[in-house]
Amino acid sequence: MNELVLEVKFVSMKKWLLIGVALGFLGLFIVIPLLAVFSEALKKGIQLYFAAFNDADALSAIKLTLVTAAISVPINTVFGIVAAWAIAKFDFRGKNILITLIDIPFAVSPVIAGLVFVLLFGSQGLFGSFLAALDLKIVFAVPGIVLATIFVTFPFVVRELIPMMQEQGTEEEQAAMTLGANGWQMFFRVTLPNIKWGLLYGVILCIARAMGEFGAVSVVSGHIRGLTNTIPLHVEILYNEYNFQAAFAMASLLTMLALVTLGLKSLVEWKTKKYVNGG
Amino acid sequence: MGISLKEVTKEFGTFRAVDNITLDIPTGDFTALLGPSGSGKTTLLRLIAGLEKIDAGTILLNGSDFSAKTVRERKVGFVFQHYALFKHMNIFDNIAFGLKVRPRKQRPSKKEITEKVMELLKLVQLEHTASRYPSQLSGGQRQRIALARALAIEPEVLLLDEPFGALDAKVRQELRHWLREIHQKLNITTLFVTHDQEEALEMADTIVVMNHGRVEQIGPPEEVYQNPANAFVYSFLGRVNELRGAALRGYLGNTIPNGDEVGYIRPHEIGLNRTLKGSSVPAEVSHVTKVGSTVRIDLKRLDLGHIFEAEMSTEKYRELGPVQKGDILYADLNHIVIFNGKNNTTQPVLENKTLRAAYL
Repeated sequence: MNELVLEVKFVSMKKWLLIGVALGFLGLFIVIPLLAVFSEALKKGIQLYFAAFNDADALSAIKLTLVTAAISVPINTVFGIVAAWAIAKFDFRGKNILITLIDIPFAVSPVIAGLVFVLLFGSQGLFGSFLAALDLKIVFAVPGIVLATIFVTFPFVVRELIPMMQEQGTEEEQAAMTLGANGWQMFFRVTLPNIKWGLLYGVILCIARAMGEFGAVSVVSGHIRGLTNTIPLHVEILYNEYNFQAAFAMASLLTMLALVTLGLKSLVEWKTKKYVNGG
Repeated sequence: MGISLKEVTKEFGTFRAVDNITLDIPTGDFTALLGPSGSGKTTLLRLIAGLEKIDAGTILLNGSDFSAKTVRERKVGFVFQHYALFKHMNIFDNIAFGLKVRPRKQRPSKKEITEKVMELLKLVQLEHTASRYPSQLSGGQRQRIALARALAIEPEVLLLDEPFGALDAKVRQELRHWLREIHQKLNITTLFVTHDQEEALEMADTIVVMNHGRVEQIGPPEEVYQNPANAFVYSFLGRVNELRGAALRGYLGNTIPNGDEVGYIRPHEIGLNRTLKGSSVPAEVSHVTKVGSTVRIDLKRLDLGHIFEAEMSTEKYRELGPVQKGDILYADLNHIVIFNGKNNTTQPVLENKTLRAAYL
């Protein structure tokens, strides 16, 4: 009897020890730094905090970040659906190679991703002279930033959709076809509603990464203030200039974006669960 | 002519799923495609629907060539084993789908669609479910809705792929009767796939028995059951005891055995007696099972040692008196049907129904 009580006590001790360790770790490495961002940003008062955004370079960095996300996310959404569809619903040669290729942006360091674009489109690059002849600028300009962002964020939507589409199979689509639906009707009335929550989840993650990407964008951007600076790059510049308060203010923007993303993500997760469980 | 297949073949890689099938199904017929899994019955159904492309041959529906037509052009009603209802739509929208996706010119008005859907819901006796979602219905209800959805487009042919395969025994029984009634009411040419011989025998006007991508026999249920064309059909339809080699000695008549003969006898065709009668063989009872109104007795032949099963009604069993494990009974195997086992598609070599062969 006593042994049993002891054992129960030991089990509950273990439980709390584990929870304590996990929470402590989270607090030390995630919560404290997050709080630090906001406390540094607000150190010199709320007025200076907002003043940090009232700066032409800061505004242009915010604008460029939004534009980049606005271009790369829809592109990755459309191609993500296409690729996921092909992989989940058809059997073809080289399917495994395609799946591996999709994962490359996750596996490769973003710096290398950026370098690839410099090597391809830079003035010394493969298409350099060709682009120069047409007077097109990709590297150290907005198109380069968009390209690098697309590359880095490509897997998010596809990866989210493949398992979902595989699990759903093709029976509902076949049923739609036997009932006389054409390809578009089948997609918009049957396929899309079935994947909408997974798609939204992928898109949210994609947006977060598109806005926060530093490595790849840093390589191709050239850091031209007011022209090719995104929020993460602007944070770095401000920081290097010892303008800590402004750097943290900009950083707090990205942090808030992350928090909003997490909130949306859990909302969508909850919705997805409800949808899946509800049949 | 309802559905007409001419030399239809379908291969998946090197596997020939449907092998040169020629088949005619008259208008208004209720036909079962019966066969074990892998016999090509579902593939054949999907070929008719256009969900798979044929490799060779032609498919005619009501006289016109459908071989090259797409799924949407064929306008066949298709019911899937796992219902394939649209889970994000309510029941009303599920049934209305086929009407709503029509090109604008052929699309009925909203009022007409509503009327049609309610009429179909009435037909499948599920009017109260219109605003529910598929997940809120039972398996049997979902399959009824799937049928209503298929009927909404007024198909000329109705194809059902193992429609009751995912349902429990009781619901399956109810739906069988119900589907027959619907067929009688609408008289649509109907083709359904099943691996359940009882289902095929009970429901169909015509049974097409398939094996290895080929048709083994076509005919009304009684004919297929009473006069199986070959050993496969005999063994697939109903319970059988299979006898080979020495067990057939004495039943082969004048034919010279070549070792490939195989004999079949249905459990209910075996007569059991307490005393030796004519050519009966002695056997020891190893197990007695009572299933509803029938009694199944497992026996072991004393002379050859192989095990077989006999079946009788409870009345007959009462006449025989209580049987216990270890009892010795005499089994009359004269109804044995013998096929040449080398080629399963040959006619029976010998029917022993009239033969009075002496046992050894």
